[in-house]
Order: sequence, then C-alpha cells, then structure tokens
Amino acid sequence: MMAYLVSILTFVALAALLALALNIQWGQAGMVNFGIGGFYGVGAYTAAILSVRGTDPLTATIAAIVVTAAASAFVSLASIRLRDDYLAITTLAFAEAMRLVMLNEEWLTGGSDGIRDIPRPFIQFVGGENYEPAFLAVCFALVGGVYILLERLVRAPFGRALRALREDDVVAATLGKEVLKLRIKAFAIGGAVIGLAGALHAFYFTYIDPGQFAGFVTVYAFMAVIAGGKGSNSGLLFGACTVMVLVEGTRFLKDFLPFLEPSQAAPLRLILIGVGLILMLIFRPGGIMPEYRLSVREWTPPTGKKLT
Amino acid sequence: MAQALLNGMVSGMLIALAAIALSLTYGVLNFPNFAIGAMITTGAYLAYFLNAQLGLALAVAAPLAAIGLALISVVVAHAVYRPLRTDDPIALLLASAGVTFVLENAVRFIYGAEVRGFDQPVARPLVWQGLRLNHEQLVDAAVAVAAMIAVAVILKLTRLGRAMRAISDSPALAQVRGIDKGRTIDWTWALAGALAALSGVLIGLDGTVEPLIGTNYLITVFAAAILGGIGNPLGAMAGGLVIGIVEEFSALVLPTTYRQGASFVVLVLVLFVRPQGLAGVARFRR
Repeated sequence: MMAYLVSILTFVALAALLALALNIQWGQAGMVNFGIGGFYGVGAYTAAILSVRGTDPLTATIAAIVVTAAASAFVSLASIRLRDDYLAITTLAFAEAMRLVMLNEEWLTGGSDGIRDIPRPFIQFVGGENYEPAFLAVCFALVGGVYILLERLVRAPFGRALRALREDDVVAATLGKEVLKLRIKAFAIGGAVIGLAGALHAFYFTYIDPGQFAGFVTVYAFMAVIAGGKGSNSGLLFGACTVMVLVEGTRFLKDFLPFLEPSQAAPLRLILIGVGLILMLIFRPGGIMPEYRLSVREWTPPTGKKLT
Repeated sequence: MAQALLNGMVSGMLIALAAIALSLTYGVLNFPNFAIGAMITTGAYLAYFLNAQLGLALAVAAPLAAIGLALISVVVAHAVYRPLRTDDPIALLLASAGVTFVLENAVRFIYGAEVRGFDQPVARPLVWQGLRLNHEQLVDAAVAVAAMIAVAVILKLTRLGRAMRAISDSPALAQVRGIDKGRTIDWTWALAGALAALSGVLIGLDGTVEPLIGTNYLITVFAAAILGGIGNPLGAMAGGLVIGIVEEFSALVLPTTYRQGASFVVLVLVLFVRPQGLAGVARFRR
C-alpha cells in the first residue's frame, strides 16, 4: 500500500513537471504545445540511451534537458509568422515524427521493444529497499525547485513580457519586445523542464517504449493545467494531483465492473479521461484557481430619471 | 515511375477526402479539428460492422456508414463543441482531442486492437501498358472523384454552399445577411462526417481496418489541408493529390515506415515558406 502511494506520488510529481512546463509555454506565452508526449519521449530516450551506454546519470539528465530544450526551440520557430493553432499542428506533427523515429530506429531506440534495464542513478548509495521513497523525495525537491524558478520568472519582467505577447503580440512588438526571441525562450524553458521530467521517467521506470509517450501524456498535462487554472502555477500543482488521482482511480474500474475483459478496461479508462477533459472545458474552463487579472468593472447604466 | 505516380494519385484521393472534411470544418468553425483521425477510424469501423458483420455489400455499407458518421458528427457538435460557447480555437481543439479519445477508444472497446479487413472478393488487378491498377484502387478513385465533384457542386452551386463560404469569410457579416449559422454548422459537420467516413472506408479497402488507421493518416491529412490552404476545401483536393504523390515517391528513397515523415517535411516546409497554402489567401496573423 505504501509502495503504491509512493508510486502515485511519483506520477503526480512527473505530471506536475509537465504541467509546469506547459504553463509557461501555454499559460504564460500563449503557445500551445500539443506534442508534449513527443518532447517527453525525447527527454526520456536521451537519458536512457546515454545511461545504458554508461554515461553517469547526472550528465545524462543534463543532456536530456539540453536536447529537449533545443528541440523545443527549433519547433517554436514555426510560430514566427503563424497563428497559435498552427503551432499546435506543428508540435503534434513533431510528436508523431518522434513516434516514428522511436518505432523505427531500432539500432538507437530498440524499436517497439523499447529500452530496458536503464540503470537507476545512485542506487549504490541509497540501496534497493529505500530507493523509491528516496527517488520520490528527489522528484519533489525538483518540482519545488522548478516551481520556485518558474514563479520568479513569471513575476520578473520576462514573465510580464510573455503575458503581454500572449494577449496581443502586435502591441508587445510595438512596445519594443522581441516577440520571436521571447517565444523561443519561453518554449525552450518549457522544453528543458519536459526534458527533466522525461529523464526522471526513464530512471524511475527503468524501461521505456514508444507507447509511454503517446498523446495521452499531452492530454494529462493539459488537464492538469486547465483543472488548476491556466496561468497559475500553484493551481496546477492541485491540478496535477487531481488528474493523477482520477487517472489512477479509473484503474480500479475493472474491480467494479467485473464483466469487462482486461483488454476493454484500458480503452474505457481513456474514454472516461476524454469525457473528463470535455466536461472540464465546458463547466470549468477557468480552473480551480483562475489567473488573477485586473479588469474594468462592467458598466452599469445609471439608475434614476429616465431620459426623454 | 509511372506506377508510383498512379499509386500516389489514388492514395492522394483518399487523403483528399479527409482533407476536404478538415478544411470544411476549419473554414466554418475556425479551429483545427484533431478528431479528424478518429472520425476516419470510426467511419471505417461503421462500414466494417455493416459489411462484415451484417453482411451488406460494401457498396451499400459505405454510404450507410457515411450517413451514420454524419449523424454522429452532428451529435458530437451539439454535445461537445456547442456547449463550449466559445470561438477560442484552442479550447475547441482541446475538446477535439477529448473527442478523439472517446471515439478511438470506443472503437477499441468494441473491436479490440486486431487488424481486420472488409468482406470483399479479391479481383485480379487490371494491367494496361505495364501499369497495374488494383480493383480496390479503381473503386477508391471512382468514389473519391464522385465525392469531390459532389462537394464542389454543393460549395459552388447550392444555398448551403454559399452559406458555408459566407460564414467562412466573415461570420458576423453572414449572420447580418440572415444566414442561419447554427444550421449551417450542423450541415458542415454532417458533410465533414460523411467525407471522413468515406475516406476511412476507402483507406480500409486499400489496406486494413484497425484502430490506428485514422491516427496514422492524421499528419498526412493536415499536411494536405494546409498545403491546399486550410479552410479552402477545393485547395485541399489538390493538396491531397500532391501529398499522395510525394509520399509515394518518398518511398523510393526513404524506408516505407517513414511515409508519414515525408508529410511532416511537407507540412513544416509549407508552414515556414507559404503558410497560406499553395492557392490560399492569407488568413493568418503575425
């Protein structure tokens, strides 16, 4: 039971990292990343490939961060002259292209078999029995670190500039903000965080295959951000917990519905997750903690004498 | 070489049908409908149900599947997209990702992941001057051409088509002129659903029916629609043909597993160089 709790909390930490990344890309800069699963895979595979070949875990993690950030910066170039939804298409296409590479470049990625026996970092110091709680602690520490870093960025002039170009990039440009540069930076910072999460994923599971980095990863991240309130970092930590509890909770479906075939339980879960996303968009588009924003009070007509 | 051109044109027509569907919804509703892949899959399975399980001939099953998916699309529009009460493309496209999950996994829930095929007699390929054309390819091409002509007629000659084009140009102006936006949107979804279903049936006929057929064509379809100028259904026809031929020729230099990779390259090139598409008017903003 304890072990199960630890594993769920680790998933929450990974989801929180992805949501934090999405929140700076989408929540702050208004750049929709629909290929989070693909970027996550890039990070995980980079870390896995390097550490299986004997690189030490720290270098492998840094490499994962750098590679994913670079890939993100490259993909964000697509937003040079395009509307937001085109970036969504480009990132989705990038994720699909990465899926093809993961599936087909067997010499590098092991194809559909994936990579197994990824060494667990620093296991010689921690020992096998306490490894998972220790790993969880590291994850939480990293989530905390990233959270503080991103909160500071968001409150810094950099964050204000991002929000300005999210609301209206032409106005931001006329105020002397270098729109493209800011966008690339925001996307690369998000990508770095996704790369970190990917490396942690590889080290935690010690086994990765292309199926782990499909579209559902992207949807979880979006659900976490929407549930928490787009633009709010503290809200999305809540969001990540909610989403992972829901996702893990639906695992128990098969206990309540014993007539289901095991092969039917997984699709049913994903159906429920899809429905959950739609319901959230319809009923709670602002999330639990909507972003604080100043607004002009609605104009109410003066009461009193009617003009004739 | 000529064989590759022929094959490319036939598979391009299949892509074109789905790309037209995507462009229609983009034009009228102004968001990229990611659920187009799941719609293709659902259409193929509807036809599979009618054909292989109820024993209808494919010629009957395919139009019925088109009608069925048209209805499903309208229901989805009323259940999901309309209650959102927003024209924010991002909210709509997120919702379409949710729809993808529901449709694709409903198919998986019922049929599992096995690869299936339509119940269709195997016929000898036609050979003409060294060019081989499968019976299936011939059917594919004929149906696709007929559907494309129908779409062109609807768009250019009917009241509905004029209403769609008007809303696509300027929703506010269209409504001022008394065009019933809700009804036009319903018809757009119906038409898009029918086209996606046909595309799914034809793709299934060309290869196999499995839960991922739509997803496997997703990037290809987007590339075709964007190449044709997204929101421009007639451009999407041309885009589909070009993408089909490019993918077929890419197989000469790339491993066949990277067919979609060729679409990805085209997609990125078009977005960087000419985002309004080959024939499109600029409808994007900086």
